[in-house]
Amino acid sequence: MPVPGVPILEGLYPSTLDLYPFEAKEFNRIHQFYENLRQKRFTTTKCKKCGNVPFPPRVVCPQCNSEDLEWVDLPTQGKVLRFTEEVAGVPLGFESPLIHALIDLGVGRKLISRVINCKEGQLKEGDTVKLAVYDVPPMIIEKRGGVMEEAPRVFFAFEPVK
Amino acid sequence: MPERNVCIIGGGMSLWGVREASIIDMAQEAAKDCFDDVPALKKEDVDGLLFASSYCGRSAFQVNIAPVIAERIGIKPTSMCTRVDTLCAGGSSGIILAAGLIKAGLADVMMVAGGEKLYTPQRWETYYSEMASIDHDWDGAQGMGLPPPFFSMTAQEHMKHYGTTKEQLAAVAVKNRRNGSTNPKGQFQKEVTLEEVMAARPIVPPLGLFDCTPITDGCAAVLLTCEEKAKELSDRPLVYIRGTAQATLHSMSMNWPGEHLADWVHLRTAAKKAYERARVGPDDIDVAQTHDCFTISEIIEMEDLGFCRKGEGGPFVESGQGDFGGKVPVNTDGGLLACGHPFGGTGIRQAREILNQLQGRAIRQVEGAEIGLTHNLSGLNVEHTILIYGREP
Ligand SMILES: [Zn+2]
Repeated sequence: MPVPGVPILEGLYPSTLDLYPFEAKEFNRIHQFYENLRQKRFTTTKCKKCGNVPFPPRVVCPQCNSEDLEWVDLPTQGKVLRFTEEVAGVPLGFESPLIHALIDLGVGRKLISRVINCKEGQLKEGDTVKLAVYDVPPMIIEKRGGVMEEAPRVFFAFEPVK
Repeated sequence: MPERNVCIIGGGMSLWGVREASIIDMAQEAAKDCFDDVPALKKEDVDGLLFASSYCGRSAFQVNIAPVIAERIGIKPTSMCTRVDTLCAGGSSGIILAAGLIKAGLADVMMVAGGEKLYTPQRWETYYSEMASIDHDWDGAQGMGLPPPFFSMTAQEHMKHYGTTKEQLAAVAVKNRRNGSTNPKGQFQKEVTLEEVMAARPIVPPLGLFDCTPITDGCAAVLLTCEEKAKELSDRPLVYIRGTAQATLHSMSMNWPGEHLADWVHLRTAAKKAYERARVGPDDIDVAQTHDCFTISEIIEMEDLGFCRKGEGGPFVESGQGDFGGKVPVNTDGGLLACGHPFGGTGIRQAREILNQLQGRAIRQVEGAEIGLTHNLSGLNVEHTILIYGREP
């Protein structure tokens, strides 16, 4: 289907408008995070030299600059501390209600993440949520000779524990 | 060369709002208004341009916009001509950088301009681009680029910890819309009542329509130079840049530095440094323009800038301490809530209002104002930027 206004883009992948990360190994040195997600593991990098465990994962330890890192598992369940439900004005690519929550994973780690598979008005502070992994559209990589290769992708959110 | 004192000598704005104009058009309008403000300045004197814009590459097919704007407004920079991007704080970043160049003798007269064209022919793109303006791979991919949900959580936190009320939030909107009602450059030039704010359509509860800054097209520009040149170019009182700071401690979704979302450690960090560099304290500030992207933001800013104690921002604004006749008049030109918020333009709009206040020529004048402060938060509250201006260096 031609792209209105820009017919020259017909059939092309506008990668700079891609909502999701370029996860494929050709474009991303932390592609292992996404490989692990596929196995329902929520992981990050741990520095073998100083023990620092930052999130998101790194390729260099932000504390001691070591490149000697290993993948470790983070908790896949957490507690909702505060949340917000956006019903109107949800951006393209997301469904209403768009729910975000400040989640306490324990082990001294909090993060803000999206909560899916949850109806408006269902979530409460103190609820337990768990990691949810879902497929997102593949990215398309132009290889030698103009061959287009699809690289499958997943992304994560959290969902209520039933 | 010894360090030089740096002065802001003129300011200008395009009309802000929903504009039938491109960013290049509005940059010309703002630059003209700014040049008109300093009639003795010749365009040949301007040897530097910084243009602050985050979205020029998203809302039009145009990156590296600074040389284009230099050509359109008729200047030929020979010291520096580049774009600056700190999202909502880009204009303030530009002023800090320009001040540093002038102070060091690497530039003499710099224009710092900035702004955005956010109403594109396709409305979805405006919102969609927000996913590119934060940590795209981690936060944008979760639909977290839009500010209202985040500030809704912030407001809930403040209400929970300090008993702040929706009426106190509304008091900020009423004040800033009143201040903006006489600003001919602002997006909204109409007052609103407390009842109207309270009854407004919810955006993300507890935030309603008037608790949120709108989406805005617009540009602004200021001129900076060294003290000696400022004396040559203008008969008005000199206004110096006395102290600045910009603090970043975390990413939006990860590693929040405070006890809770209404505890803005990064703002206190920036404030401490800016006050020290300016050799003043919060009690010395006569007038302030703070980043009221949401009503709750101004309340927390009153606390973490040190204008009142932590948790007392609600009563502070409700009792008029942030208004004319109170402890420190805040957002005297209407702030973001009335003027609107074309990201890269906002810090420059604030600087222009402080310039006018300290020169005694503001539309709503704070009598005898000698020390002024501007503040931005940016990138969904990952960064705080402060500049302190004074009649003395
Ligand atoms: Zn390390």
